[in-house]
Amino acid sequence: MKEIVVRIFKWIGLPGATIIISCIAITWLIGCATNKQSAEVAAGAAGKSGAQLWAENCVRCHNIRSPGSLSPVQWEVAMMHMRVRANLTPDEHKKILEFLKSSGG
Amino acid sequence: MVRAIPMTMNQMTTRALIALVCSLSSATAIAQETAPSPPSSDYVSRAEYDKLKAEHEAMKQELDALKETVKQLAGPSQAPEPSKQVSEEKQAVAVPPEAATEELRQEVETLKAQVKETFPGSTRFLLGGYGTAGFTARSGEDPFFDAAFNAIFLFKMTDRLLFEGELEFEFEDNQTTTNLEIAQVSYLLNDYMTIGLGRFLNPTNYFVERQHMNWVNKLPDKPLAVYDGLLPESELGGQLRGVIPIGATKLEYAAFVANAPGLITQSDDFSEIGMLDFDNDSNFGGHVAVGGHVGFIPIPQIEVGYGIQRSKVGPRDQAVEAILQSADFNYVQDSPLLKGLITARAQWVWSHVDRFVFDPDGEQGIGPLTFNNNRNGGYAQISYRPTHIDNDYLKNIEGVFRYDRFNQLHTPVGFDEQRFTIGLNYWVTPSAVLKLAYEFDEKNGGARDQDAFLMQAAVGF
Repeated sequence: MKEIVVRIFKWIGLPGATIIISCIAITWLIGCATNKQSAEVAAGAAGKSGAQLWAENCVRCHNIRSPGSLSPVQWEVAMMHMRVRANLTPDEHKKILEFLKSSGG
Repeated sequence: MVRAIPMTMNQMTTRALIALVCSLSSATAIAQETAPSPPSSDYVSRAEYDKLKAEHEAMKQELDALKETVKQLAGPSQAPEPSKQVSEEKQAVAVPPEAATEELRQEVETLKAQVKETFPGSTRFLLGGYGTAGFTARSGEDPFFDAAFNAIFLFKMTDRLLFEGELEFEFEDNQTTTNLEIAQVSYLLNDYMTIGLGRFLNPTNYFVERQHMNWVNKLPDKPLAVYDGLLPESELGGQLRGVIPIGATKLEYAAFVANAPGLITQSDDFSEIGMLDFDNDSNFGGHVAVGGHVGFIPIPQIEVGYGIQRSKVGPRDQAVEAILQSADFNYVQDSPLLKGLITARAQWVWSHVDRFVFDPDGEQGIGPLTFNNNRNGGYAQISYRPTHIDNDYLKNIEGVFRYDRFNQLHTPVGFDEQRFTIGLNYWVTPSAVLKLAYEFDEKNGGARDQDAFLMQAAVGF
């Protein structure tokens, strides 16, 4: 077992291994920290509004753009694009699109 | 310009319908008001009945005449002041309410059908993209300005069918070059599965797929090894991708088959020997690459992922195996406690190519050459923007720090490189940013360090 770990470390390098272990540790720690307040999270997309899903999903990659920056028809196209690129669930896609179209789009 | 067309057409159509309904409704209302008052008692005499019948017949004739007039007015030769004429005639005619409503409904339906014929089509189109202007002053090199423009074309053919195209225009070697970055047809097979065919961004490479756009990337340049390094930026083939919600978490996946990269076996630049050629569009060697990526989102703020690509590379009769791997981590937290938005991103990539004998007969003057063709590198980056403070200027300022590294000392490149970059951004709008950065560069293997000052303005639209 030790030999396998050493070989992995040698192969991927110390910085890479450090980053991976750090990421796993941070993920675990934050997961534990947010576990208690996750009644809303536990419901997944089903328990969230379109505005909330919009804020959570879009900001993971880029700044949030104003709903008024595109027309409803344009949001339909943009959101289908984002559904594919950012792997949105159908529920997330539907709720976010409804929010954008009703909020100035 | 293109973006405004559907909206304008819809508005015009809506307004036309409203205007028509309002005008005909008011005309009907006026007609109703001018109709004879009903008798005060519940019964009518024979004389009254005959009189009403005669009036009804007269009204029917007038209505027929009115219809004929309207038909003539709708034709090419219109009488002077038609609206006034029609209005006067309508006021004089008492049309039974049911008949008028039915007539109005039919006319609206006809008009709807006519207007629908003028619609541009069921395909929805969106033109987007991003533009960049930059300046680079790197020690040991001449400083230079640069500019680039990427146009993204999106066509939503149906609720399941999407075409995405991206063209990149940039200056390269004193001329403008055009690159086809993306040309992908995507079809949503079901809620959890989408198939894509064509040229698409490499799903193995998180930075390329989600972060490389200049208005999204928080520094003027891109991290070593991850971009233009050890992983392809795009693939030419087909992919199957989607997301599976698991309770409060999500599992993303992507699997693809594509042209394999080439192996550079001869070059005027010795340092390129042994590198992978990701622009192998003609698929020299005839190999196929198979790869994929899985991402896990335990809570909305965090995403961790792993990707791998495997293929044979090199000439068909001497092919060797290449394995490319990537691990990524992303954390984005809007924190009221820290009064701002914090992001932490990291990605590390590994490239392994089996041993290959380059220039076996010494014709190029470098061989026979063989070496351990393993390389790795990546980056870690944090940024903070005080979005929750009240000052309109300070809330748009963002500080960024990035560490990136590229290890290839034991290859013909002959050195490892690491950089420490600090950056300051000002967000003019959510998708327009001015970036300033200074990069501290360190190389071993006798190579010269090249610190750099970078500026960039980027706009996404």
